[in-house]
Amino acid sequence: MISELLRALQFGDSMFPVGGFTFSNGLEAAISGRVVRDPPTLAAFVRTATRAAATSDGVALLEAHRGTRSGDPYRARAADRALYARKPNEELRAMTVRMGHKLAQAGARIVGGGTLGGWLRAVTEEATPGTYPAGLGVLFGELGVPEAHAFAVHQHGVAVMMLGAALRLMPLHHLDGQAVLYAVDGSVADDYRYASGLTPAEMSAFTPQVDVLAANHVRAHVRMFMS
Amino acid sequence: MTVSELAPYGDEPAQMPSGTPGKNGFLRLGFARRGARTALVTLQRRAPLLVQQALYWDEELPDLACVVIVDTAGGVVQGDRYEVETELAAGCRAHVTTQAATRIQEMDANYASQAQRIVLHDDAYLEYLPEPVIPYRHSRFVARTSVCLPESATLLYAEILMPGRKHYRGGEVFAYDLYSSGLSVDRPGGRELFAEKFLVEPARSSPARPGVMGGFHVLGNVLLLTSVAGTERVLARMPAVGEHADGWAAGASRLPNGAGLSYKVLGMESEPVRATVREFWSTARLAIMGRPAPARFPWR
Repeated sequence: MISELLRALQFGDSMFPVGGFTFSNGLEAAISGRVVRDPPTLAAFVRTATRAAATSDGVALLEAHRGTRSGDPYRARAADRALYARKPNEELRAMTVRMGHKLAQAGARIVGGGTLGGWLRAVTEEATPGTYPAGLGVLFGELGVPEAHAFAVHQHGVAVMMLGAALRLMPLHHLDGQAVLYAVDGSVADDYRYASGLTPAEMSAFTPQVDVLAANHVRAHVRMFMS
Repeated sequence: MTVSELAPYGDEPAQMPSGTPGKNGFLRLGFARRGARTALVTLQRRAPLLVQQALYWDEELPDLACVVIVDTAGGVVQGDRYEVETELAAGCRAHVTTQAATRIQEMDANYASQAQRIVLHDDAYLEYLPEPVIPYRHSRFVARTSVCLPESATLLYAEILMPGRKHYRGGEVFAYDLYSSGLSVDRPGGRELFAEKFLVEPARSSPARPGVMGGFHVLGNVLLLTSVAGTERVLARMPAVGEHADGWAAGASRLPNGAGLSYKVLGMESEPVRATVREFWSTARLAIMGRPAPARFPWR
């Protein structure tokens, strides 16, 4: 139990070198569009993002985890392709694949073994896109981190990425950011209960304003973040 | 249709059982080339859905078969199960629209559903541009659309979703129970290029939140499924940024796997959103077919 906790902490850490700090998951666009202006709107926007992640990324992560636990590598690849096909915004696709590829390399190098070697090969040979949630599901499945904890680590990571970006993009006190994180983390258990009953065909996300903001961010002149 | 979000709505309507005659509208539309024009060669229909014939009203593309889908019930009610199948043979060009807005009526039991299948063959071109969808208070609606097309074909698919009867009785905005709309795009042979599913249950989570509708009321969701070259031609003709102070915002994004483009429009009222969608329609048609959209009929 202690070792699974430490695996979850290491590979889910915001400092883990997958390049998470270069992305804001749509927050930069939201701030420049004046949709996020203060801690309350920041909290609401982050919650919108985690809710959408739970029913899309989270479902793919759980399917990849379950496939890995049951020894079926093709379930993870199918979940990965299905998730990639459900991301309409090119920057957000690039973000998840960039982080996913780095995670696949790190997992194969640090942990090793046939499963993670096979996943890295599938990703590098472009047999599967290599999204971050699917890769994290495979890694945590292989490491024996329980699926609920794997889901929670990913959800927490989405919020941490955005709040880290917020500290650099708007006037925000560190403790206000932590208060937002604490509140958003309070939804993870319910989100897991809901997401754990969905199949990949039932993945959904309804975030039109995020989609419009992210679409316009692609061609914005001044950008600190790649998404 | 076994769909998790429908679990609370299994009760049968008191008026008539779900999916029985009168509630099982069906359309099968088959288009084929006949000389220089596209003709509607297969037409199967079952009330309340109705199509009468193809007309040729498009002065920019006179060979384009134009079809109007009519709902003779005047709205979608609880227990309705509609199915629409549309197929375009190679080289066909067609425009399909609806005679009026799709009104999803108030419900106190069960739900309504629509299953659609759109199949295009090589070099086919279809504009599917229905009038807006208006989900009334307490309505429950599930739509599933599956599209299959090769890279040489083009589908312009646009839906406008209203928040409800916004200007009725003090305002009915996001007062519906369920709006679930899923769409998938495959190549012939089964490879999935793109899919999206909107699941909106306002009582669970308000669509007014930042990042969702964010204070806007009307959503225009446009998909242009076409070749990679066609996609780049359309993008090159679009303004860099589509955000406006005067109450609307829009943005275009390349879809995954070379499927085409997504263009979303947000506004407060239907007219500006329809106008913006129409502009995109004309830009897309110009880039793909070399002609703009026809002048707007004043009565539509």
